[in-house]
Amino acid sequence: MAIIRWNNDVWRPAEEMKRLQNDINELFDFPALFPGRGIFDRATSPALDMLETEEGFVIYCDLPGMDEKNLDLSVASGVLTIKGERKNPAPGKDAKMYRNELWEGVFQRTLALPSPVATDKIEAELKDGVLRVFLPKREEDKPKQIELKVK
Amino acid sequence: MDDKNVVAKPQETSRQIRPLYCIAEDKGEVTIRLEMPGVRKGDLAISIENSELRVTGKRSKDAITGNYLVRERRHGDFANSFTLDDTIDQNNVEASLENGLLTIKLHLKEEVKPKRIQIKTS
Repeated sequence: MAIIRWNNDVWRPAEEMKRLQNDINELFDFPALFPGRGIFDRATSPALDMLETEEGFVIYCDLPGMDEKNLDLSVASGVLTIKGERKNPAPGKDAKMYRNELWEGVFQRTLALPSPVATDKIEAELKDGVLRVFLPKREEDKPKQIELKVK
Repeated sequence: MDDKNVVAKPQETSRQIRPLYCIAEDKGEVTIRLEMPGVRKGDLAISIENSELRVTGKRSKDAITGNYLVRERRHGDFANSFTLDDTIDQNNVEASLENGLLTIKLHLKEEVKPKRIQIKTS
């Protein structure tokens, strides 16, 4: 596949339809859902995972190239909000862009937390472009093992 | 310069992810930026062999396991390769990894760079 400059001047409706059809056909082929191309890759919204463990909730969010200065986390009434702005280095005046799949701009993600969390014990770190947030459950919400005494 | 000097080869197997990237050329310098979140410097390998630039980045598995409530991230190792043509100087390649964003700088060979010729006025 050769890299050619993106050219909007030439409108090829048949090609565009074909591309869309291919994308939709591949949508439910499982490995093809993820390879990073297709109709859902242009959204300016970073992908995140949310896991529930016995101790709490863990959120991983891919934010490559982002600084913690441009990132804002808040929890209010059981809703976690991740806000930020990603800026890519501006290309020079004479730069030719051959391909650009990197997004930039302002984003916001909100996540409803399934159960209340201890808001004063939330940990967050941004490392190697991955944001990890740990939201511990409150002591009273943690699952407890009740020992049965058999007499 | 021709538009064909960097050609990407699609590399897709089930466990490998092609990282999102951009390629820009400015004043004889070709910059490739690849998104590789979660890849540390030691887990990154960049090689040039038979004019093929290959980038692989291994990711350590997330340490915490639990029930996924939301799962949108792509899990697996990053890999992609680019074919370099003769206009690129293969001995002058710089790479830097910062916050999961890999920047590779390639340079065009001196003889293919556009030259400005000074006109002397008498």
